[in-house]
Amino acid sequence: MTSRKSFWASSRENHKRRIWIWIVAVLAQLMAYVGVLTVYLSRINRWNREDRYKTPAAYKSALCQAAQDALGFQDNLVVIVVGLAIIIGMQGFSYLYDRKKVDLYHSVPVNRNKRFAVIYINGIIIYLTGNLVSLMIGVIVAAVQGAVSGPVMAVIGLGFIWNLLFFLAIYHISILAVMLTGNQFVGLGVAGTLIMYELVLYYLINSMQSAFFKTASGFYVPHVPKLSVLEDYFGNTLRMKHTGDVKELLQQLLPYYGKWFILAVVILAAAWVCYRKRPSEAAGQAMTYPVIGQIIKVAVVIPVSLGLGMWVHNAAYGSTVLTLASMIGSGVIVSAAAEVIFDFDIKSLLRHPVTSGIAVAGILFVFLIFRLDLFGYDMYLPNPDKLESIAVNVDYYGDFWNKDFDYVPANTFSEKHMFIKDMEPVLALADKARGVDTEDMKNPVAFNVLYRLKSGRKVGRCFSVDIADPDNVKYLDRIVGSQEFKNGTWQIVTDRESYDQVLEMSYSNGAAKVALPTADAQALRDAYLKDMEQYDFSMASTQRPCGQISFRFAGWMAHGLDVYESYENTIAYLKSQDAYYPVELNPEDIENIMITNYHYELSEQMNDRSVNAAASWNSYAAVAEYAYEEDLAVSENFYDQEQFAQILPVIYPSSMHYAMWHDPDELDRNYEVYITLKKDTTYPYERGSYGTYYKFYTGQVPEFVVQATAIKNGTE
Amino acid sequence: MIEIHNLTKTFDKIKAVDEVSVTIKDNTVFGLIGTNGAGKSTVLRMICGVLKPDSGTVAVDNMPVYNNVEAKRKLFFIADEPYFFANANAGTMERYYSGIYEEFNKGEYYKYLESFNLDANRKIGTFSKGMKKQLALLLAVCAHTKYILCDETFDGLDPVMRQGIKSVFAKEMEERGLTPVIASHNLRELEDICDHVGLLHKGGVLLSKDLEDMKCNIQKVQCVFATVDEEMKALCGMEVLKKEQRGSLRTYTVRSTREEVTARFATVDTVFYEVLPLSLEEIFISETEVVGYDIKKIILG
Repeated sequence: MTSRKSFWASSRENHKRRIWIWIVAVLAQLMAYVGVLTVYLSRINRWNREDRYKTPAAYKSALCQAAQDALGFQDNLVVIVVGLAIIIGMQGFSYLYDRKKVDLYHSVPVNRNKRFAVIYINGIIIYLTGNLVSLMIGVIVAAVQGAVSGPVMAVIGLGFIWNLLFFLAIYHISILAVMLTGNQFVGLGVAGTLIMYELVLYYLINSMQSAFFKTASGFYVPHVPKLSVLEDYFGNTLRMKHTGDVKELLQQLLPYYGKWFILAVVILAAAWVCYRKRPSEAAGQAMTYPVIGQIIKVAVVIPVSLGLGMWVHNAAYGSTVLTLASMIGSGVIVSAAAEVIFDFDIKSLLRHPVTSGIAVAGILFVFLIFRLDLFGYDMYLPNPDKLESIAVNVDYYGDFWNKDFDYVPANTFSEKHMFIKDMEPVLALADKARGVDTEDMKNPVAFNVLYRLKSGRKVGRCFSVDIADPDNVKYLDRIVGSQEFKNGTWQIVTDRESYDQVLEMSYSNGAAKVALPTADAQALRDAYLKDMEQYDFSMASTQRPCGQISFRFAGWMAHGLDVYESYENTIAYLKSQDAYYPVELNPEDIENIMITNYHYELSEQMNDRSVNAAASWNSYAAVAEYAYEEDLAVSENFYDQEQFAQILPVIYPSSMHYAMWHDPDELDRNYEVYITLKKDTTYPYERGSYGTYYKFYTGQVPEFVVQATAIKNGTE
Repeated sequence: MIEIHNLTKTFDKIKAVDEVSVTIKDNTVFGLIGTNGAGKSTVLRMICGVLKPDSGTVAVDNMPVYNNVEAKRKLFFIADEPYFFANANAGTMERYYSGIYEEFNKGEYYKYLESFNLDANRKIGTFSKGMKKQLALLLAVCAHTKYILCDETFDGLDPVMRQGIKSVFAKEMEERGLTPVIASHNLRELEDICDHVGLLHKGGVLLSKDLEDMKCNIQKVQCVFATVDEEMKALCGMEVLKKEQRGSLRTYTVRSTREEVTARFATVDTVFYEVLPLSLEEIFISETEVVGYDIKKIILG
């Protein structure tokens, strides 16, 4: 029976033989925690000496943040924790790989369970010793510098649990890998496979979906591993680090704590069962159970071969024949390599042809699923009766934030706020897009769609909608004009609180920029929301914005909102503040206009020729063509008021060049118009600013401009 | 007593041990003989609980041994290549084993180390192969287990050391009823140590007998008979295991006691006869030839 005394005696004995691991664990963590902390603190102290911190409180806050970053959630720790978990796990049970050691340990009168417990617990003690010693020294160093506070200690504590649970999950995987294998080399490979497998699998699925499915989209429903602790750690440590509030941090952490703990327990249980069942004669062999070896072979060969095939697919510009050939070739080679590794014998190349055949068949099957879309991924259209609501996004780069003014991605925001119940127009557009090539559309716009099914399932797709197709207008109006769409597209619609905390507010028509009183933020918001009621596709696609109002909040979070001529309430407010300036400038305010014609179409023709020249191995000709392209831009200055009068009605501010629901080709990309306003004008422009750049409406460039900026004789 | 019944073990479809049944009585030196690959090590590793038999049973003092700490307390296994911890010395190993075997006799251990000229502070890694085997044997003896299982441990030991270990075994057997089980591929190594011998071949037991019984029941007689009739008369009813003839000199190996042979040959007319002592090797040759094996090929070859 296992007495407590004999347990600790065994533990002590075991520790004696693991001294080097102790040393590695302590040194590695000292460097990772105390070393990094010292670097952070010394940098802050240097900045303080340079008076970068305006107040002692700011300095103290920076010190606390540094302590928190170094000792709490440090993304660099992943290498140390994974490394230690694998080394400690594999070294502890490595006696199972050596027949001589097995003969000793399994013949002496020591209970198997006790031996497992001793080695397992000692492994955790080794990690914890280095961890706690490093954290204690780190906290002392931080305290001496005045970088410790209650919240800092709380974050350090939560970070400690975060790293411990992550360590346990990887540690248990390593132990399981030892139990499944018979030698260190294969053990390391299996440990790596178990740790990375799901991550690699999802990466592969994503890359194959992107390559073969037109409607593939990870925007709303990203394909991320569900069980991979490595993915969780990679993907969230930085996020946790930047979560300021301890309570909120704890709320974010708890699901991961729970998931990792359960995973760790399940993996440990599996390792324990394998340990109990493991025959001593497995020592020195590749796999403890040859059947599992073959399962692992098939499970590894398929994704590795598909991955290599996808690499060829990209390199060979999507050649199906080459992709398939490389996948099957890789399957055969990797299967043979696995057999050689299992047997440590080159002559085993062709062993187990059945499992090699299964692997190759699997590769072929998976490839065909994607290549031929066997499960109708691209043809998917949800049954309206089973659909709860829909979210749509057409602008990846919206500016969204949370109550702490931290950045929130567009997908997260619209998923949270957009619940379109009038689903028929979305489904109709999705249906129209099925099987239609984007290249056949005049002005395709990518619609990222989230289908929320009544079953709770969420499906994400991306399809193109031709906004130039008049038949689509009725659908687009219903979608874009709906309150639900607006709720999830502009934060101003649903977020009232943020507009009580506006730090700066201004209006710009591209050239003028006028500051507005922040006290009026709510009033301006109300006016803008009232105007937004008229916003729909027809309105937004037939008008270009006449200006933008900009808000800046805490944490440098800022966003701009388009103002249209029809936004009477907003414009009335702006006028009341003497802030409204029409988009068209007054010629009297202008000093000169410099127009550059880049002749892009010409240069593109030349590029095509040069590419052809390069392709025909005429490298001298290619070089000459490229060099010539540099001289295509022709600039001309205009000073005449009459010329100004002809130019100003047909130009549009570059800063508002991108407008939703408008064809980018509405503006002529060849010409760049730079307007210099008179120094003595009262026009509220930002001198030398970006806002003084304009573009011509396509097809409306005055003839004298065309002539003046044409390529002159002798230049060509 | 160690009772092995129908023990079978297969590795990668190769039957290493095939239905072996042997009984190892207490307070005897049991020799397990066999060629490389005969299954000796596998049998020993199953006896000490390292390997789990595919079928059959091993009972140490009526206790199953696999995963049984109580049974293992009675055993000490010395593998063919004993493992010592990295950078360990004899003292380190004593501390490990004394923590496991409650009756480990430290005083005796250090006394034996001195007697065998083994430096307790010298790293075992610098020991010769023979010295490592001696150390393993001393650790086993001092662990005070009832059974010591030695896998090829005596092979290669010099005669002085063999004698020393033999004396230690004899002392321990007398004092506390130690039962050594010694596996070897070399018959000659066991000849002067074992009381009982089991012969393994191709995973099975060819024979298992007390050495004394074997010696008493097989006799070698050299003789020259006066006539052929006298020869027939002498051998009538006697089991002849082997017959050699060189001119008129006959050499018979017969299954019988020395007294019976002497009495029989005294009644026939012989020019000369003599009952000669048999070596263990000769006994094995005779015994295995009877069951159709050529022992020279099995062990001595």
